[in-house]
This record gives sequence, structure tokens and C-alpha cells, in this order.
Amino acid sequence: MTLYLGVALVAAAVVLFIVQPVVKGIHASLEREDDEMTETEARKRVALLALRDVEYDFLAGKLDEADYRSLKAELTAEALAALEADDAAKSVATGAEPTATVDLEAEIAAIRRGLRAGTSCPECAYTNAPGSRFCSACGAALGELAAS
Amino acid sequence: MTLLGEFALWISLPVAVWGMVLGYAGGRSQRGDLVLSAERSIYAVFGLHVLASAGIVSAFLNDRFDYWYIANYSNANLELFYKVTGLWAGQRGSLLFWALLLGFFSCVTVFTNRKKHREFMPYVAGVLQTILTFFIVVLLFADVNPFERLMVDGMPVTPADGAGLNPQLQNYWMTIHPPTLYLGFTSFTIPFAFAIAALLNGRLDARWIQLTRRWILTSWFFLSIGIVFGMRWAYEELGWGGYWFWDPVENASLLPWLTATAFLHSIQIQENRGMLKVWNMSLVLLTFLLTIFATFLTRSGLIESVHSFAQELKIAYIFLSFMGAVLAVCVLLIVHRLPQLRSENQIESFLSRESAFLFNNLLLLGAAFSVMWGTMFPLISEGITGQQISVGPPFFNKVNLPIGIILLALVGIGPVIAWRRATKRNLQKNFATPVVVGLVTGAVLFATGARHELALVTWSLSAFVLTIIFTEFWKGTKARARIEGEGYPLAFFHLVTRNRRRWGGYIVHVGFVVLCCGLAGAAYNTDNRFNVQPGDVVEVTSPFGHTYQLTYEGLSVSIGRGQRNLLWQAIATVSVAQDGAPKGILTTEKRQYTNRNTQPMTEVGIRSIFREDLYLILSALNDRPGALSNQPGAQGIDLQVLIKPLVGWIWIGTFLLAIGTIIALWPSIDRRRAGAGAVAPHEAALAGAD
Repeated sequence: MTLYLGVALVAAAVVLFIVQPVVKGIHASLEREDDEMTETEARKRVALLALRDVEYDFLAGKLDEADYRSLKAELTAEALAALEADDAAKSVATGAEPTATVDLEAEIAAIRRGLRAGTSCPECAYTNAPGSRFCSACGAALGELAAS
Repeated sequence: MTLLGEFALWISLPVAVWGMVLGYAGGRSQRGDLVLSAERSIYAVFGLHVLASAGIVSAFLNDRFDYWYIANYSNANLELFYKVTGLWAGQRGSLLFWALLLGFFSCVTVFTNRKKHREFMPYVAGVLQTILTFFIVVLLFADVNPFERLMVDGMPVTPADGAGLNPQLQNYWMTIHPPTLYLGFTSFTIPFAFAIAALLNGRLDARWIQLTRRWILTSWFFLSIGIVFGMRWAYEELGWGGYWFWDPVENASLLPWLTATAFLHSIQIQENRGMLKVWNMSLVLLTFLLTIFATFLTRSGLIESVHSFAQELKIAYIFLSFMGAVLAVCVLLIVHRLPQLRSENQIESFLSRESAFLFNNLLLLGAAFSVMWGTMFPLISEGITGQQISVGPPFFNKVNLPIGIILLALVGIGPVIAWRRATKRNLQKNFATPVVVGLVTGAVLFATGARHELALVTWSLSAFVLTIIFTEFWKGTKARARIEGEGYPLAFFHLVTRNRRRWGGYIVHVGFVVLCCGLAGAAYNTDNRFNVQPGDVVEVTSPFGHTYQLTYEGLSVSIGRGQRNLLWQAIATVSVAQDGAPKGILTTEKRQYTNRNTQPMTEVGIRSIFREDLYLILSALNDRPGALSNQPGAQGIDLQVLIKPLVGWIWIGTFLLAIGTIIALWPSIDRRRAGAGAVAPHEAALAGAD
């Protein structure tokens, strides 16, 4: 008897727990986060990270000057294209005029500033809004640096 | 408790089906209430499986021999520890344990994603519940229900005692090896679920990979150490001095490891270069199918024994149809999404990091295919010729040793060859010194008398790879120390902590290299067999040149009194001296258990030092009845003495591999430690590539 009571209790609890959202209309969000990276942003990030890699390889002495220059020129061109595409996508989204010129150095400088301020993610280099504690792109903790 | 557990298992079936249907429906109709219900059903299924597992454990503890599973895997005298771990001692319990672990990981996934990545979650919940439903169906309907009563001629019976646990499984490695592997198998379901969700919701950028990277690494971690735990168990317990025999069950666990390793490498190309999207989807699917296949194979006895095959036909059909269905659905989904899975870039040169990665993938898959072929060959040959023909270790070694050696070389080449295209200068700059170190190592070993080709190649390549990795660490540390003005230890610490994925990966590579060196040591194994009487001294020379003097001191026999199910135990004591210096005592024994009519078992004596293991086996008693009745003249034994060079390096390598994986997995804490100090502008560059 106790057994059947126990089974009935367990079953009732389970049914209540899983049916409640449907009956009471409790909704879970299905939206993708607003501050998440767009496709063009992701491409931009990949291009900038590739530049970062080449810089690292050169600093660590794995690439010589000539190889470094040729690879960097190529990657810079790609990064520029990615930045322009991202800007174009953003201006379509916001309805604003696309900026005529893209300053790659300024973009990189912005990422570096972000790193300094702690808003750039150490894991994926995504630039987060100031005050973020976790990266919007990958969820890594940004630590106290980003808190200010 | 046990009955409640049985009911809980039954209740979990409709709950899982409900969650599966609502997950897909919620994703399709974008209804949040359905999705929430599906997610809650995952928690519910896990809770019910906790009850079911508790039911089985309680049946073990209470000696409920009226249950088939308990009667076959336990008896009254079994130690408490093995009664608790009885949950995964046999096929039936293992399947429940699988569902329990998968339920746990599913709960973690649903919980950690309750506020983010919501666009994936409906289908993730749907896929997870599909897999859970499958396992529940198998448990309930494939004649493997752990709650089944013991029946004889259709009548329930309760034997006075159980058959007991197979003595070979009464070893602590055996209690942690299966759950570790299962953790690896089940956690791989999460990346699979996200991959399918990505195919269903159309977000086919590298997002699903980023979200599941930690899961993939976690799974790989458990697979790796699970496999090595199994090797360790075989080495200690099976008593023939080996750790790998290309046994179907071993192969089954190696297969998903090979494809998961390939996957871990190929996702980096997708992340860095936007290539190989279809390939990565296929690899995640393949690895998942192989984890299911391994689960099925390890516990079904499909290959070792044709006789059990007939009995297990039902479960075999269920598993095979499920795997076929999953495969078909995935292929359809990939084909459907093909236009969106196009590569963003092309490989520019044969000499580039991309092609090194690709080559690594092809080799790993080649190895997986050959292992699969060799494992299934007995079944294939039985199907065609009616006779089971097994392919032995020679086949596997012949195919996989060359593959392993090329992979080892790639471990060195990959990290330093340039992305896109390597120039001659790039190659010279990075490979000149390591190649010289490798060649010198080979020459020195040759000069000291090493002649085994494969071992020489392995050790030379290892020196080559280690030089490259240490140079990487050195260059990174030096660059950091110079630019940041930090001391070398601090610079090194920051180097690793700022990009744990990269540097942790290198440590994993070092572990792999050490492991390979250890495996190559097997080329110099020695094996001697002596018939000895008490007081006899035998000498064995190690490949390293020193000599062991082993004195057989005698046999001590004890007749068990029912404890630990032991019938009798005969322990041979051997004093060990190395070049005349005493090094203590080793024992090796034969024992016979009361149950299961097993042959006498062997317990080996191992003395491990950094360079080699001395491994003693009591192969046979000259006069067993005489020895058991303690006759003084009946103490002669056959003593087998093995010397196994570098075997300890396998365990050390695995340890390094585990440490490296943990470093790569560790969540970011270093940012906090950096305090208020500004991060220098070149920080990003110094952290290095992913």
C-alpha cells in the first residue's frame, strides 16, 4: 500500500512539474540574445584574430620579417573587407549611411583598449559592453576589470 | 525501494517521450511554454533514474537474489564496495547507469543554458530526450531490464545465494574504468545535441562549436583517462604483462576517442578559417554513433562469443536500427543544409597548418577505419563464409603503428608551420634545430645499442617534437618577459594562463609524446620462465644493462574461510636484488574463488622504477594438491619474469595529458588576478593564437 502511495506521489509530482508550463502558459525565452555577435561580426573577429596570430608568431620569432610582412599585408586586406562588410551590415540594420572609410588601425586600437578596460573577452576577443561581467559571445568570466 | 525504482523507470518512459515531442514541437512552433515543459521533463527523467538506480543499489545491498541481475552479479559474501558498484558491473545495470549519466549531463546543459543560447535549446532538449527515450526503451523492452525477476521454467525463484561477481572485476581499476569511459561516452551526446539543433534551427556558423567546446574537451578527457584506466587494469589484473590486446571491447572504446581527437583538431580550422563545416558535422555525428556502438559492443558480447549473439539478437537489432535511423536523419539534415555549410576559404598550400590539421584528421580516421574493420571482421567473415575469423594484434599493429608514428611527427609540425602557406624560410627557421636534435637522439640511442627500427624512429621523433614544444614555450616566455619586463617564472605563468587552450594543448601533446615513448619501450620487453624451488636464485638482465637476482623464498598457502569468496590462495615470495643490492620483496599469487567455476587467477608482483617495471608472474604450481595440503616438498613453482622498459611512462604521459586538458578546460580566473593594472596593448598578440 505504502509502495503504491509512493509511486502515485512520485508520478503526480512529475506530471504536475512538467505540465504546469503548458497549462499555466509559463514561457521560456526562445530569443537569441541581442548583444550576440552577428555573422559579419564573427567574420571580423576571425580576421582580427588571424592578425593577432601573425603578430604573435612574429614576436615569438617564428616568422621572419619578410614572411611577416607578406602575411600581414594579406590579412590586413581581408580584415578590412570584413570590417567594411560588418559596417555595411550594421548600417543596413540601423538605417544609417555606411561610413565611407574604415580605419583598421582604429578598430584594432579599440580592441586593445577593450582589452585594457577588460571588456574584450580574453577567450574570444569579443568586445563587450562596459560593465559586463561575462562575455556575451562565449560566456567566459571577464573578472573585476570589466566591472568598472 | 527496489519496486519504487522499477516503477520510476517505467514512469520515465512517457515523460521522456513527452519531452522529446514537446522539444521538437516547441522549436518548430517557437512556443516557449512547450519548450519549458520539455526542459523540465529532462530534470524529471533524471530524478526518476536516480530513483531507479537507487532501487538497483538497494537490491544489491539487501541481497535480493530474486532479481536476475543481482543473482548473476553478486552474492552474500561480496564486499560492500563491489555491491554498490554492481550497478555498472553488468550489461543491464550499465545501460541504466548510462541513462543516469546522460540525464545528469542533460540537466547540467539545460540548467546552464536556462538564460542564454535559447534559440538552440528547444531542439537540444528534443534530441537529448530522444536519446534518453531510446535507452529507456532498450532497458524496458530488449530483455535487459535490470529489474527482471529470476525465473526458472516460468516460475519465480529465489536462490539462497547469488553467482557472485566475476573475480577479474573485483579490482579497483575495474570499478572506476567503466564509469570513466561512460562519462566520456555520455557527455559527447551534448555536442551532438547542439550540432543537430544547429542543423534544425539553421545557425550553422561556428556558434554550436563554441558553445560545446568545453563539453567536447570534457568528453575527450574522460575517454582518454577511461581508456588508460582500462589498460592499467589489464596490466595489473589479467596477469600476462600486457596492457593492450586489440580486443573488441578495447577497440570499441578507442574508436570514439580517435574520431573525437580528429574533431578537436578540425574544429580549430572551422573557427580560424571558416572551413570544413560539413566535415565537422560529420565527425560529431560519427563520434556520437561510435559512443553508442561502443556502449553496445562492450556489454553485448556480440563479437567474443557467437553463442551469446543469438540470445542478444533483440538488443542488437534495436541498437542497429537506432544507429541507422540516427545516421539517416543526420545525413538528410546535412544534405538539406548543404548550401549553408559551404566553406568560406580554400586551403592555399599543401605546406600549411591547415593541411597539417587536415592530414591529422585523415590519419585519425584511417586508424579508426582500420580498427573498426579489424573489430568487425569476425562478424563479416561469419556472415560471408559462416566461420568467425579473428584478426589478431599483428593486423592492428601493422596498420596503426605507422599511422601513430606519422601522427607523432605531426604533433611537432602542426604548431609551428605557418597558417595559409609556409615558406622555405619559415620551415628552416623552425625545423632546423628540432630535426638536428631528433637525429642526434637517434644516433646516440643507436650507438648505445638500440636497434629496433620502430622504437628508434619513435624516440627520435619524440625528441624532435619535444624540442619544438619546449622551444615554443621558451620563445613565448622570452617574448613576454622582454616586452612585459616580467621575470621568467611569472612570464611563463602568464603565458599559460592567458591562453590556456593553446598552452594546455601543448601540455597534452607532451603527455602524448611521453606516452608514445612508453609504448615504444615494449620493443625491448624480456620474458623468462624458470622452474624454481625455495632458495633458488635466478638472474635476469635488463635491456638497460643491469641484472636482477631473484631469490624464491617459498610459498605460503591459505585456505579461505568464505571471506571475499576465496577458496584458496597461494602466495610466492621473491626477494629482489639489483646488481647485488637488495631491493626488497615481491609477491605473486594464484587464487581460486568459490564461485563461477573460474580457473585459478593470478595476481602479479610489480616493482616499478622510472625506467622499467619488473613483473613477476606465478605461472603454475608444480604440485597443486600437494601445495594446498602444505606438503614441504611441494613448493616448486613456475616463475615468469618480465622486464618491461618504460612502461611507467605510459601512466606519466597520461597524467600530463590529463593535466593539460584540465588547464585547457579551466575557466578564466586570471583576469581577476590581474587586478587594477592595465592590460598592455600587445597583450592580445602575446597571448598567441588559439
